[in-house]
Amino acid sequence: MKKHLRLLEFILPGLILYAVLFMYPTISALYYSFTNWDGLSPSYQYVGIQNYEKVSKDIIFNKSLTNNIKFMLFVVIVQTVVSLILALQIYKKSKLNVFYRALYFLPTILSSVSVGFIWTFIYDSNLGALNKVLSMIGLEGLTQSWLGNPSLAIFSIAAVQAWAHIGQMAVLFIAGLQSIPPELKEAAIIDGASTFRVFYHITWPLLAPAAAIVVSYTTIQSFKAFDLVFTMTGGGPNYSTEILSTYVYSSAFLNYSFGKAATASVYFLILIAVITFIQFKLLKTDRVSY
Amino acid sequence: MKKFIGLTLIISMLFVLAACGNNSGNSKSISTTSNSSTNDKANVKDKKDNVTLSFIHWRGEDVEVLNRIIEKFEKEYSHIKVDTQVFPSDQYQSTAQAKIADGSVGDVFTVFPGAQFEAIANAGLFTDLSSEKFVENFEQGLIAAGQKDGKQYALPYQLVYNIPIYNVSLFEKYQVDVPKDWDSLLAALEVFKQAGLTPIAFPGADIGPGQLMNSMVMNNAPDEDIFVKLEAGEAKLTDEWWVKTLAQFKELNDKGYLQKDAVGAKQDSSIALFVQEQAAILGTGSFHLASNKAANENLKQGLLAPITVAEADTVFEGIHTTTFMLAVNNKSKHQEEAKLFIDYLSRPDVASEYANGTGQNVTVKDVVYTSDELNIVSEWTSKKTRFQPRFTIKNGEVQKAVTNSIQAVLSGVSAEDAAADAQAIVEQQIGN
Repeated sequence: MKKHLRLLEFILPGLILYAVLFMYPTISALYYSFTNWDGLSPSYQYVGIQNYEKVSKDIIFNKSLTNNIKFMLFVVIVQTVVSLILALQIYKKSKLNVFYRALYFLPTILSSVSVGFIWTFIYDSNLGALNKVLSMIGLEGLTQSWLGNPSLAIFSIAAVQAWAHIGQMAVLFIAGLQSIPPELKEAAIIDGASTFRVFYHITWPLLAPAAAIVVSYTTIQSFKAFDLVFTMTGGGPNYSTEILSTYVYSSAFLNYSFGKAATASVYFLILIAVITFIQFKLLKTDRVSY
Repeated sequence: MKKFIGLTLIISMLFVLAACGNNSGNSKSISTTSNSSTNDKANVKDKKDNVTLSFIHWRGEDVEVLNRIIEKFEKEYSHIKVDTQVFPSDQYQSTAQAKIADGSVGDVFTVFPGAQFEAIANAGLFTDLSSEKFVENFEQGLIAAGQKDGKQYALPYQLVYNIPIYNVSLFEKYQVDVPKDWDSLLAALEVFKQAGLTPIAFPGADIGPGQLMNSMVMNNAPDEDIFVKLEAGEAKLTDEWWVKTLAQFKELNDKGYLQKDAVGAKQDSSIALFVQEQAAILGTGSFHLASNKAANENLKQGLLAPITVAEADTVFEGIHTTTFMLAVNNKSKHQEEAKLFIDYLSRPDVASEYANGTGQNVTVKDVVYTSDELNIVSEWTSKKTRFQPRFTIKNGEVQKAVTNSIQAVLSGVSAEDAAADAQAIVEQQIGN
């Protein structure tokens, strides 16, 4: 018993922090999702599952969910593929590769609000650099209203999200690539395996745990991309970039409906958990050994 | 284990002692029940206890002027210190309520009319100022936005006209008169388009729809309660008044009278077009007059409300908003000092200093304006204007549905479809 108490002492600080910073807000959100609290009034009423019914039928919630899934798919695919390609180019140890890693990692350390403002200027169709560069190199036909076109705006923001985090994901892939014993690849090459077969049968299976982390982290990040969306479009034009986190924000702080916002957060939590679980299963993260 | 328990006890005792210290500080705060500001002044001066007032607002651009005013206030009331915190306006709209809820911040706070005012009033966080003498210092016709249930909960300090600004020199150069109806407006815009200018610089991505909608709708729906009726389910966005307004927005866009890619344009790029004299009209409001002038001192500006009906059917000439509403936190321990501060701000000489220093018109009586920009606005006080319709919408999501329907038509959706989509959201919000 004494031994257990001693062990408890060691985990207690971490447990308290986890309970206060994660468990309590999560349980609070769950609790408030069954109330009609406006976030200000001292009193509120228990409304059962009314908020869950309302939110699931809410036009804006469903638009936000659709936009968020588009955003997530774009970011997960682009970010994972590009960061993997970059990692394969620069994972070997050399001074030049260290420089490239630092260069690609640079956008990650910028504040996402700053990134949002910078790209808003770049995308501006009247004064922005992107359309000007496209026009200068004779690609005027490709100039767009990057943030003003409702069909395009969500992907324009998703591209910025991917740009900002590709370097970070490449670092995770580099760590995975560097842990693969070189003799495995050497043996396969001696046996006459092509570059693709080496990648497909050796590199990728051994990289799966890192890929699972990259994909799940990117997914969660895509759902939490509030600051970028908020600074670049605020959810517009006409809800075309409204995502779940901006929906929760609007419900809580513009419409003073904390109960509804908490309900959307619970849906949000469940969705991320399900998607992450499926991704782990699909990527078969069980360690492969040769 | 003993060390762990001992350490915990010491930390707990420190917390208790700190709390006691804090209480003793608070116990010095003055509580008087007098409603007269003269009595308040006397009571407060007699006791001379030191008080720090927390003042929160969103006008970062006014900080310098307000700091000068606060310095003078602190000299007059040597026992009161004002600690100001400023937040960006969008952040303020969303977080002010939470900050003032426990009374530790925002003894004096500012509030937006409409949804934020309603939410704070419903939460009981306003002190009733109805019987305060300083209320008389304000133009009585301009303080209704701070009233609810017959009580004066907040006092609007700024007077803004949500009317597009036009470049007077460009109008003169191309011999264009200020349009008095829809047809003459379209004709005027065509002149500027043919001259290679942008007829209207319109920030459709952020503040544009919420600003221009007011003057566009004012004569299409002259009923000042139209949005109140919308939220009560007695009017619809699919009715003629809103469909017509959307169709007119679409006409302006389709004919190339709004700036290129208006729906993707933020206010910085629209303002840049206007101050560089590449655009004849800026579709925002009088609050940009002073900053435009600061950016281009040769700019000659006026206000021009688009009239969307025939001249004979015109009911309103423009839109006004009374905002930056000063209020006292009901949870504040320093309510009397907070009232003294509002009393001070409402003096004509102090309000004049604020107005001329910030370039903003105010709702206080007997203020003397010295700049051209402020005089442009003060001319409008004699015209027939109505309170900003957007701020009569109490539900934030309904407000967003209305402005988003403008973005929808600018993106190519038909006026009827955009109105129907927005109405569906409104019905969900009001529970129909």
